[in-house]
This record gives sequence, structure tokens and C-alpha cells, in this order.
Amino acid sequence: MPVLLVVSLFSFGLTLMVPGDIAAEMAGQSSTREEVEEIRTRLGLNQPPLERMAHYYAGLARGDLGHSILLNQSVGSAILERLPVTLSLAGIALAVAGLIGVPLGLLAAAKAHRWQDQTAMGVSLIGLSLPDFWLGLLMIWTLGVKLQWLPTGGFIAFGDDPVGWLRSIAMPAAALALTQMGPLARMTRSAALEVANSDFIRTARAKGLAEPRVFARHVLAAAAVPILTVAGISFGITLGGALVIEQVFSLPGVGRLVIGAVLRRDWPVIQGGLLLTAFVFVAVNLIVDLLYLWVDPRLRELR
Amino acid sequence: MKVPAILKRRSFLIGLVLVGAVAVTAGLADVLAPFDPVKNNFRYRLGEPNDIYLLGTDRFGRDVLSRILYGARVSLRIGILVVLFSGLIGGLVGLVAGWWPRVDAWLMRVMDGLMAFPGILLAIALAVTLGPSEMTAVIALTVAYSPRTARVMRGAVLVARAQDYVEAARAVGAKTSRILRRHIIPATMAPLMVQQTYIFAVAILAEAVLSFVGVGPPPPRPTLGAIIADGRDTMIEAPWIALSPGVVIAMLVLGLNLLGDGLRDALDPRMKNTVR
Repeated sequence: MPVLLVVSLFSFGLTLMVPGDIAAEMAGQSSTREEVEEIRTRLGLNQPPLERMAHYYAGLARGDLGHSILLNQSVGSAILERLPVTLSLAGIALAVAGLIGVPLGLLAAAKAHRWQDQTAMGVSLIGLSLPDFWLGLLMIWTLGVKLQWLPTGGFIAFGDDPVGWLRSIAMPAAALALTQMGPLARMTRSAALEVANSDFIRTARAKGLAEPRVFARHVLAAAAVPILTVAGISFGITLGGALVIEQVFSLPGVGRLVIGAVLRRDWPVIQGGLLLTAFVFVAVNLIVDLLYLWVDPRLRELR
Repeated sequence: MKVPAILKRRSFLIGLVLVGAVAVTAGLADVLAPFDPVKNNFRYRLGEPNDIYLLGTDRFGRDVLSRILYGARVSLRIGILVVLFSGLIGGLVGLVAGWWPRVDAWLMRVMDGLMAFPGILLAIALAVTLGPSEMTAVIALTVAYSPRTARVMRGAVLVARAQDYVEAARAVGAKTSRILRRHIIPATMAPLMVQQTYIFAVAILAEAVLSFVGVGPPPPRPTLGAIIADGRDTMIEAPWIALSPGVVIAMLVLGLNLLGDGLRDALDPRMKNTVR
């Protein structure tokens, strides 16, 4: 909760920090004085900051994030309408990153300091060093333009055409997954190595379990908590990456909305976008906290 | 830490070579750049890479290689400033939070709040609020990434203050300021240096995003992200414009991550066998 207070204070405070006249900037250069005044009144900018803050929080309490004059739509509905695209993109990317990164990390730990380890960690490190939006462009150029395997942009709703949806989301998700796989693989490896010398792992080996099974079952179970922590943090980064990569692939998600708002100086949308993504991130980390209890029975007893 | 020892680490050495190569060429941009990075040449627009224009020209006929050299310089400058400022601010917040439990909860809640935003979105919002410029990018990225430094610093302070030698110093009557200066801060330098190396890498990536999105340092001054954004519209006719700056970013970031890994292994022997 205190986190949400800081988050909302910051989102609100943003408009107080803007140098210059917000209303005049939004109205554009060819606007009359009356038009500027009207925007000022509608945004409540002619009230003192404290009153604006009270108004802002009163709106939040009602679930009202304000109104975008430029879109002529309420900010809440504008964002919620686009949230599924962004969340599914980030979710798929993170799932793919986990499905590749975690086994890769386990393999690296099982073959620590051998060539498999070095290759896996090298790939992870290169992946996390690439700018994801650039990787997206590179994919567009190779897979989209040269090989023509996948569409270079645009979005098809899952309901309209599931295959088309998958094709439209494959490249951006792959670009994000490739950059997020690294942290997961690295954390999996180090967490796995930390538990690899424990007594219960020795017991598992002693009772004759094959090495792959020791790692897939016992080591992974013991290393699950730090891996989950990294996944939670990665979600925030993936979400940020998704917002940017939507631009590259012309996906109609929150990122296009918010970054479009940034370029048009549509403050209510910028504030609402900040607030809602932070809210999603906090909610995801709450779920991660609950998952700790599920993956690690020891923590259940501690309560 | 002995210097020769760390140079024997392969990851550190590769990192040093990568970062060094970019830093030196960018630093010598005035000498090395074959053309003026902002001078238009409409007779030679979207020119393919050749002997004269090694990486081709963009839609204004500007030499891409020269623009990349100057752009890398801007990226490095912003990165270094973010490393310094976030180190100072995050370091101070972490020190205060780790040493004085009474303010710890308050400070860390604020840091958690800032960390709840995806860092890049926070930086974009701040950059547009303060108006695009190089200094704005530095401020925005510092605000977005200082909380990470604060967290690492706080952790390091908590570890250091629990040490027996700190207890001993207090027992012989050393003042708080002396304990902090002589015992706590030196003990936090190793994790702080590692963290700031990673922040450097993150800052380079994030600055590229700011510029790509259009809230970075304004044109015509080249930045790596802006060159990519520029080349995006002409990807099909002239892919070299958008693709080559990314290689430089990747070299730089990979190099910094390798430096960070090398430093971490060298400074924290406990981690040597666990994390590479």
C-alpha cells in the first residue's frame, strides 16, 4: 500500500514539474486564447495544486483516472481497452524466456565450468546485452522483409484469427524473450549451484537417481524461490520493453497509447499509464509472493 | 585488489577490450570521423556502404559512421553521468537507510515506489516532463535507476555494520562519522562498484530507448537511439542505417556486463564458484 501511495503521488506530481503552460502546449500553436482557457478549466489547471491533488485522489477513489481531451475518451477505458495486448505480449515473452532460460540455467549448473556452461552463459549474456527494440527491427528486416516468413507489423485479435494472432505477436515476443532469458538463466544457474552441494541433493544421488532427474526435480525445487524473484523483476522490465516494442511492430497496446501521449503531451494519459503499469507490476509481485508459499513448503510454516 | 590479478580474468579482459574499443573510437570522434555528422549532402542520400562512406549515408546524405562515432560519445557521456549521480544519490540513500533504522522503512518505501514503475517508462515520463535534452536524460535515468543502487548499498551497509570490527571501533569510542568513513563506506565500495558497472550498461540501453522514442537529446545531434529511429523509416531501402548503431550499443553493453561480472568475481571470492 505505501508503494501505491508513492506511485500515485509521483504520477500526480509529474504535472507540477512541467515547466511552461500545459494547456497552451496541448491546445497547439494555432489555438485561440479561449480554447486554451477551456482546456485549462477542463483539466482543472486554474485551481491551486492542493485542490487539484484532492480532486485527483477523489477521482482515483472512484476508479476515475481522468479524461483525455485529445482522445475524447476517459483515460481508464482507453488504457483498459489496450491492456490485453500489452499484457499478453509481456506474458508470452516472459513465459518463453522462462521455458528456455530456466532449463538453460540448470544445464549450465549441471555442467558447471564446462563448454555447455560457457556456451549457455555466453548466449544469455549476449541476449541481455541487446537492445530489444533494435532486435525487433533486426527481426523485421530478416524474417519479415528478406525471408517474408512473418508479417512486419500490425495486430490481429486472437478472437478473429488465432494463427494470425500468433504470427503477429511472434516476433515482438521473441525479441523480448531473448533479452529476458539471460537474467533468468543466470539466476537459475547460481541458485542451482548454491543448493547443488546440499545434503538432500547428495541423498537424491545416493538413492540412484539419474543426474538429469536430480536437477530437474530436486535442485529446481530448492532453487525455485530466487528464480521466481527474478521472474517478478523481469516482468517489470518485460512490461517496459513491451511498451517500447509495440512502437516497432505497430501493436495497438498501452505502449503505443502512452508513448503517443508522450509525444502529444497528453498528460492525463501519461499519468494514468504510469499509475496502471505500476499497479500491474505491484499486483504481479503480490502473486509472486503467494507463489513462494506454493513452491516452498518451508515458507508456509513460517507464517 | 591487485590490478594484474583481475586482468587475468577472461570475462573482464574481453569486457575491457569491447568497452575500450568503443570508448577510444568515440573519444577520438573529432579525429576519426570522416565527415561532419550533421552536415547534409542531398546529392548522396541513402547511399550504400562503400569505400568512402564505410557504413553508408542516411536520408539526408549524412555519413552514418560519423554519426555513430559522435552518437556513441553522447551515450557514453550520459552513461558516465548517470553512473556518478546514481552512485552518489543511491549510495547516500542506501547508507542512511542501512545505518539509521528509524528512517530505513520510510526511505525504502519511497525507493520501492519508484521501482514499481518499469524503469524505462519512468524515465520516458520524466524526460518529457522536463523537456528533452542531454541533461534531462541524465536526470530521468538517475531517478529511474538510483533506487537499485540504494538497495545494493543498504544491503552492503547492513552486512558491514554487523561485523565485529565495527563493534570494536564503537567499543573503543569512535564517533559515528569516523566509523562510517573508515569502516562502513570502504566495505561497501566493492558491491557498489559492481552495481554501478551494471547501471552503466542499463543506462546505455535506456538512453537508446529514450532517443528512439523521441524524448532523448534533440536532433540534429546524433545519438545511437536516434540514428536507429531515423533509419527505421527506410529499413527496406537502407537497412544499414538502423542496424549498425545497434551493433555498437550491443558491444558497449556486452562489454560493460562482462566488466561487471569480472569485477564481481574478483571482489567477492565467495561468488566465484556460484555465479560466473
